[in-house]
Amino acid sequence: MTVKWSDLGLRLSGAVVVAVMVVGLVALVIPYDPADAVSYDTLLNPPSAAHWLGTDGQGRDVLMRLVKGTEAFFLPGLMGGLIAVVLGGLAGAYTGYAAGPLRSALVGLLQLVDTLPRLVFIILLCTIRNPSIPLIAVVAGLLFVPTVATVVRRKVEALASEDYILAHIAHGFTPARILLHHILWLQCWPLLVRQAAFVFGYVLFVETGLSYLGDYGVQEPDPSWGNMVAQVKDLAGAGAWPWLAPAVAIVVTIASFLAFGNLVARKGEEALR
Amino acid sequence: MTAPLLSIEDLIIEFDTQQGRRRVVDGVSFSVGQGEVLGILGESGSGKTLSTLSILGLVPGRPGVVSGHIRAHTDAGEVDFLAELPSVVAGGTAERAYQKDDRRWQRIVQRTMKPYWGQFATAVFQNPKQSLDPLMTIGRQLDESVALANPSLDRAAVRARSVDWLRRVQLHDPERVAASYAHELSGGMCQRAMIAVALAREPRLLIADEPTTGLDTTVRAEIVGLFKALLRDRRRAMLYISHDIREVLFLADRVIVMRHGKVLEETSADDLRHGRGRRHPYTASLLEAADLPVGEAA
Amino acid sequence: MSGAASFLALAGRRIAASLLLLVGASFLIYFTIRSAPGDAVDAITPMGTPPEIKEKLAAEFGLDQGVLGGYGVWLSRSATGDFGESLVFAPGQTVMEVAGPAFEKTLLLSGGALFATVVLSILLALFLGEPSARQQGLTGALYFITSAPGFVSAVVFSAAVNAGVQRFVEQAGHETPAWYPIPIYSDSIVPYFFAGFVLVMGDGLLMDTFNAVRAEILGVRGAQFIAAVRARGASVTPHLWLNLAIPIFSAFVSRLPVVLGGVVIVEYVFTLDGAGYLLLEASKQRDFPVVVGLSVLFTLAVIVVGLLSDVARSVIDQREVARDG
Repeated sequence: MTVKWSDLGLRLSGAVVVAVMVVGLVALVIPYDPADAVSYDTLLNPPSAAHWLGTDGQGRDVLMRLVKGTEAFFLPGLMGGLIAVVLGGLAGAYTGYAAGPLRSALVGLLQLVDTLPRLVFIILLCTIRNPSIPLIAVVAGLLFVPTVATVVRRKVEALASEDYILAHIAHGFTPARILLHHILWLQCWPLLVRQAAFVFGYVLFVETGLSYLGDYGVQEPDPSWGNMVAQVKDLAGAGAWPWLAPAVAIVVTIASFLAFGNLVARKGEEALR
Repeated sequence: MTAPLLSIEDLIIEFDTQQGRRRVVDGVSFSVGQGEVLGILGESGSGKTLSTLSILGLVPGRPGVVSGHIRAHTDAGEVDFLAELPSVVAGGTAERAYQKDDRRWQRIVQRTMKPYWGQFATAVFQNPKQSLDPLMTIGRQLDESVALANPSLDRAAVRARSVDWLRRVQLHDPERVAASYAHELSGGMCQRAMIAVALAREPRLLIADEPTTGLDTTVRAEIVGLFKALLRDRRRAMLYISHDIREVLFLADRVIVMRHGKVLEETSADDLRHGRGRRHPYTASLLEAADLPVGEAA
Repeated sequence: MSGAASFLALAGRRIAASLLLLVGASFLIYFTIRSAPGDAVDAITPMGTPPEIKEKLAAEFGLDQGVLGGYGVWLSRSATGDFGESLVFAPGQTVMEVAGPAFEKTLLLSGGALFATVVLSILLALFLGEPSARQQGLTGALYFITSAPGFVSAVVFSAAVNAGVQRFVEQAGHETPAWYPIPIYSDSIVPYFFAGFVLVMGDGLLMDTFNAVRAEILGVRGAQFIAAVRARGASVTPHLWLNLAIPIFSAFVSRLPVVLGGVVIVEYVFTLDGAGYLLLEASKQRDFPVVVGLSVLFTLAVIVVGLLSDVARSVIDQREVARDG
């Protein structure tokens, strides 16, 4: 019974993850002029054959804006996830293996970064520099490095005393190769996948959140799932599709990425045991 | 002849594994008389731990089937523990099945066995440091047992008796031990404290499952000696499980030898010690390995 | 070392470590301020600020000196709680006057939401412990719903409540509540409960806490000493609670940063004048001293709560004291 459910979950979440990836890539190449899409003939239309998800308060096709809205978080999300996982993995491997002042300094620095409340810090950053979304994603990824590093460090510490690692050392592999290839790549990949999925979800949350709030993030008329949800204030019950569709999209995407990351990681850990 | 305190008949324990149903305890029968020490000798995987833990309903919860009889002569009269548990499998056979993580089943077992836990039997396990609550003082855990065995005593009297028990298990400075936590004591001291906790409950039967495993050699001998001293008055029976034939021979009145889930031989410890009587080849090999006289091999 | 003395020594060490953490984190914040491109003063003041105010700000933030020197200047003022005056939001008032009461509200809201989350997680862990099919489905559904970011949950929830209230008022002709329609600003306490509910049910908080709590409960329940307790007919309950107190408390504390992140947007959606809403409004109006002051306060909250939990843990779990003492 347990296996059946997690298989179904894996397939569903995996399908959504793939779909979002495809849409994200597609969105990068599709041309879209938000000013062009405005059409006063089709204000707040319900879904129809011409507009599958209807139109919004300015007559723009909701589905098109939904697709184009992935641009805001897709590449930044991948970037943030990559940064968190690569830097966190390296930091975790080093702190798990080495000893000495450099390691202590690194552990202290990681603990510092971990103490900062993430969203608060991002808002501070936005106030100072009004950064682009990619820069925000990079910062978000950096803010997650301590989390990833802790997880990896525990794993490295647990594995370092395993017999087969000692055998590798005896065979002449350098510590770097053992750490990076054998431990980090071969053994830690489930953890890293889970963390990367989580950071991607977090970048999506930050981008849509900031765009929703209005001053930072993606500004109208460019589409973002966040500023589409923000239309709820203007529509006030006149039509649900324009803001409900992106809200559902956000929830489904985040939930799927988290679930996918968790399930893949669990399967990977079982396989490694 | 008085009725045996505990009688296990045709006990069968099977587990469902990925390779199918594995029989781990295969028709085991033995009995323990009042005040008697029964030694259960066997190597790991022989089923000795499972057979005895099933008495307490402490068999690990994996999917499988258990059948047979575990008859106990308790204060409430004759009880068949397995018969008390509801039969899950319908049909003619008296098979009782239990499920992994099945909280309902666990709750039923716990509810059924609760009247007998402590009163009828208590257990001392391996790894004494794991057997004690790490966040409670030794004294408080001992008080628990004493209070359950003597509900009429007040707190001061309970504590006095706890300290007395610590003294009886040969712990120096029993008041300080009573105020200590498990991590502050050595393995040997923890096991002595554990024995005190188990005996303070005043059970009719003490089950000791490899109680010397994990302890230093000298400490092992001390613990075995402690058991001997504590059970001298024959007020309690004991099931002593071990793979160490010397320990078993020192403590037991009777010995059963187990292998691959079966009882191979049942004999008096005296006969074993003096190499009298016919031996099962496996028992003979165990005796030889320990440099003890074998006698006639069967 | 006697028990009390080693405990004090441990507490002293933890406090020192927390102070170090605070200094380091505040430096990170300050470094971010100084990293602004161009003239730092212009970056942190709204357009049209008179030059004498700019000068005052530059002096307060040590902008005329190097990074380390400036940090010293800024730290010495901030350590006394002097974050300067609000520029735009509430001109003339000090940042602490504005931020203090707001922060109290936010802490209450966050603390309440966290407490509810932990209680709910415990209840869920007790009832959803088994992997039966129906419960897996229920767990999966909960995961899905609660992984929504706070603002999405808040928006959907508000819309639903607004629609519901509208129907209720129209049909039955009742009075419109003071807080309707969300997000209108009101004195009522009801939006706080809405916000609390959304906080619990969003940002993946509930299921994350549930996972952690369930793992702890299963871990302790399966421990050998629990089996030993049962085997002698003693009650398992006091042992369970004693051993679960710290892990559950840790689960509570370690999730405060997540809740503080969520509370910022949730306060905004429900127009509650807490520190999160203040942070966002000040940010919009580029009231820089308020933003910086609040950032430091938020960080301080996380550090203080962490310190308190560390110390509380040492009281219950003597092993820590023994190890470090």
